[in-house]
Amino acid sequence: MANYFNTLPLREQLAQLGKCEFMDPAEFTDGATYLAGKKLVIIGCGSQGLNQGLNLRDSGLDVSYALREAAIRDQRQSWKNATENGFTVGTPEELIPQADLVLNLTPDKQHSAVVTETVPLMKKNSCLAYSHGFNIVEEGMQVRDDITVIMVAPKCPGTEVREEYKRGFGVPTLIAVHEDNDPRGEGLAIAKAYAAGTGGHKAGVLMSSFIAEVKSDLMGEQTILCGMLQTGSLLCFDKMIEMNVEPGYAAKLVQIGWETITEALKHGGITNMMDRLSNPAKLKAFDLAEELKTIMRPLYNKHMDDIMAGDFSEGMMEDWANDDAKLLAWRKETGETAFETTPASDQEIPEQEYFDHGILMVAMVKAGVELAFETMTAAGIKEESAYYESLHETPLIANTIARKKLFEMNSTISDTAEYGCYLYNHACLPLLSDFMSRINTDVIGRGLDLDDDGVDNQLLIEANRAIRSHPVEAIGQTLRGYMSAMKKIT
Amino acid sequence: MLNNIIFDRACIQFNESFSLREIDWVIEPGQVWAIMGASGSGKSALAAALAGAGRVTAGTLRGLVADTGVVSLESQAALIERERLRDDSDITDRINEGTPAREILDEVCANAKLQSRLTRLFGIDSLLDRGFGKLSTGETRKLLFIRALASKPDMLVIDGPFEGLDARTVPVISELLRNLANDLPMVLVINRLDELPEFVSHIALLEKGRIKTTVNSSDTTAMAALSQLFHLQTADIQIPAAIPGESAPPLDCNKPLVNIRNASVRYTDNLVFENLNWRIEPGQHWQLTGPNGSGKTSLLNLVTGDHPQCYVNDIFVCGHQRGSGESIWDIKQHIGYVSSALHWDYRVSISCKNVIISGFYDSIGLYAKATDLQQEIAVQWLEILGLQARAGQPFNQLSHGDQHLLLIARAMVKHPHLLILDEPCFGLDDLSRQLVLALIEKICGGSETTVIYVNHHAQDQINGINNYLTLDGAT
Ligand SMILES: NC(=O)c1ccc[n+]([C@@H]2O[C@H](COP(=O)([O-])OP(=O)(O)OC[C@H]3O[C@@H](n4cnc5c(N)ncnc54)[C@H](OP(=O)(O)O)[C@@H]3O)[C@@H](O)[C@H]2O)c1
Repeated sequence: MANYFNTLPLREQLAQLGKCEFMDPAEFTDGATYLAGKKLVIIGCGSQGLNQGLNLRDSGLDVSYALREAAIRDQRQSWKNATENGFTVGTPEELIPQADLVLNLTPDKQHSAVVTETVPLMKKNSCLAYSHGFNIVEEGMQVRDDITVIMVAPKCPGTEVREEYKRGFGVPTLIAVHEDNDPRGEGLAIAKAYAAGTGGHKAGVLMSSFIAEVKSDLMGEQTILCGMLQTGSLLCFDKMIEMNVEPGYAAKLVQIGWETITEALKHGGITNMMDRLSNPAKLKAFDLAEELKTIMRPLYNKHMDDIMAGDFSEGMMEDWANDDAKLLAWRKETGETAFETTPASDQEIPEQEYFDHGILMVAMVKAGVELAFETMTAAGIKEESAYYESLHETPLIANTIARKKLFEMNSTISDTAEYGCYLYNHACLPLLSDFMSRINTDVIGRGLDLDDDGVDNQLLIEANRAIRSHPVEAIGQTLRGYMSAMKKIT
Repeated sequence: MLNNIIFDRACIQFNESFSLREIDWVIEPGQVWAIMGASGSGKSALAAALAGAGRVTAGTLRGLVADTGVVSLESQAALIERERLRDDSDITDRINEGTPAREILDEVCANAKLQSRLTRLFGIDSLLDRGFGKLSTGETRKLLFIRALASKPDMLVIDGPFEGLDARTVPVISELLRNLANDLPMVLVINRLDELPEFVSHIALLEKGRIKTTVNSSDTTAMAALSQLFHLQTADIQIPAAIPGESAPPLDCNKPLVNIRNASVRYTDNLVFENLNWRIEPGQHWQLTGPNGSGKTSLLNLVTGDHPQCYVNDIFVCGHQRGSGESIWDIKQHIGYVSSALHWDYRVSISCKNVIISGFYDSIGLYAKATDLQQEIAVQWLEILGLQARAGQPFNQLSHGDQHLLLIARAMVKHPHLLILDEPCFGLDDLSRQLVLALIEKICGGSETTVIYVNHHAQDQINGINNYLTLDGAT
């Protein structure tokens, strides 16, 4: 199988990359009706599988699970997930032949094998759905002509998909139809009904393409999301230890700090995150972020180029074929870093202190988000996609670090994200070593020590203008506005 | 405790909207205090201050005991929140059932013997290996109790000692506290005068963040005045009207409202109940009782559709046979629901008024634009609850009791065909409780709504409820 993106002419590549449009809520007035009475069979009952299934069933649809025989025989977690929640479970041989819509919600690494085994069992003129397009775009999976292929990708972890549904809301969702596999022209109708069944239409649905979703998803996860947060954690922690900050405090400032500062991002973008700092601290963070952007821009460009050329997935698939040797070695190394092995103290750190003592972390988030966004949009990805894959997801990843630090973040994020994070971390640590040698505890660990917290008006106006006029802020405001158009009333 | 705890004109700030003001209060060794007052008066805040919560902004607070065992809704919420954070099921494919109860106890307890005596006393010895997430609200409450006692504290602060406990546990706890009170300083927050244990020696009555008066429980005149204050007549209330044309479609009155046949709820490792039958005709009000953990909540969740196993049981609810292609919102539009679980789940930033309006949409949070009429009706409800001044305030800044009142209004606001009240008086003071009971009685007297009522207090009987279902929890 060849990389699908690379088989397309440039014109088509650009057209596909540039797809991402906010859909009018009026397009979803029929809800999930298009799928009423149809048989939905989900393969895999993990994070997405279980939670999407619960929502789809609560939306009135007929959902059952095809699990591999071993999972059923050994009563694995996936089997428990499905049976305790009252779903019918069977082997693929039993269930797939009756399915009108098959939802492949297994890990991406398994997709080639799973899809190759599943498609022959699928009935004529049925539909296959993904929640991530890697298999189609990077591995070039070819699916039988009569089968419709679509994607419905919630932009949140599975439990959030469920929680928001239960509240009567949903999570933002990307949908796409694989144009090579839309023989009856019904792909969009199915994708819309599927998205509505998960509650996604209440929070906003973006019409995208498999290609735009994959290329932007890969770029976001390996740079700002996992890569920057991992690299930043190690650098900030080591710096504080070097400067004799109490280790338990340092560990906590980093571990909980990402979540605390990116919470501000979630509510009001970079602008709000920066506004949480005092004026002198804001100017400091602004300057550091500018410097970081200059140093790291070539690295972000390289990641984007490798993703576009397919080199990234090729390298990763080689490692898959080599039993993940590189990845596992690196995962182990991560587990042994000082940050990872130092327990965070129980000491209470006031919310504002995470900003005041974490100026460098704020600068890293700003630099990472803006760079990722700029690099993606320069490569032809629409601002909407770029926003979701950078700024929007940062708090979600920060949340996993807050709970379990890096080792766990890496073992639980997708294989592709972890491999990308490995590449980024390897390149970025040395890249920033000179920069870090000039850093002191005023920006990480202890906070600015100022008798006079006055600033130059002109400088502040300039910095504020630059922060607010960055394109990620404008699109962010619009998209957050859609998402919470209703919430805003409260 | 050897020293006095002394509040000297202490002002203690809790959040932007709440502070205790100019508290003058001395707790001497050997005294057992009860803190009382209306909801929102600062009872829980004062109790929490004894465990070091809040920030003293003026005056002084001296002599706090370092090792204070606390049982409160806040500590229960904190434990639930901690477990929620630990729950990694969103990043792994495991459904996390939570830390086993035993481990939660072991975290604080060095004394295994004491611990096992307590778990037996509370009747949860058989649940110790169960994950936290599989425990009922009453069971987590008991766990918290045991945790506080087994940590061998030097002082005990219990906010609502009998809240959420079943009838058979109440006397046991009461006896236990009486014995402990002999040598362990104790402060209790008591919501209802009829729950005031006789071993309490002093009462502090709070009003709007200040101590209004303190009473020695042996002073009979002062006690009589207190009791009068707590039994003020509930004003003759009118329930705000439904909005014509906006309520759920009519139901066929010849069909049962709920018909559950031979139902069971089971997990891989335990059976909650089986062979359960329950048929509710329109207009037939029911009271549901049973000990903590007997499956009351599971059963109610089969009705509301919040329990996933509603799809593998034979259940007919509000015009729909479950699993026949209906959506959960088709069911919920007919139901008003309030429970402590809903209260825990209601964690969104929202104003008080909009909490009530969200009842029109069956949502947690508000995601639609409210109509003028809906707004108007929400204001009428706020007036009944005495919360009109709070309309625009964030929900999470209100006291637990006031929050609960809002959720009860949320459940009633659309005049649902089926109103499910799972311990609606949980955590309410006497006045609010009388208000809620009066509201329920009004609704039971009308013809449009059928009520299912769950409670543990024999005193909280409702006129008009004549059908009883008791789960025995014998599994
Ligand atoms: N997690 C997210 O935040 C997120 C967000 C959006 C989209 N997605 C996408 O959703 C999809 C699923 O991801 P996930 O995070 O939900 O995965 P996951 O939690 O790891 O669950 C995967 C499930 O697939 C089953 N499985 C694994 N290998 C299999 C095989 N060879 N054949 C059949 N079943 C197999 C596993 O069960 P057994 O091992 O017990 O058989 C498990 O239940 C991916 O395409 C991912 O990119 C994920």
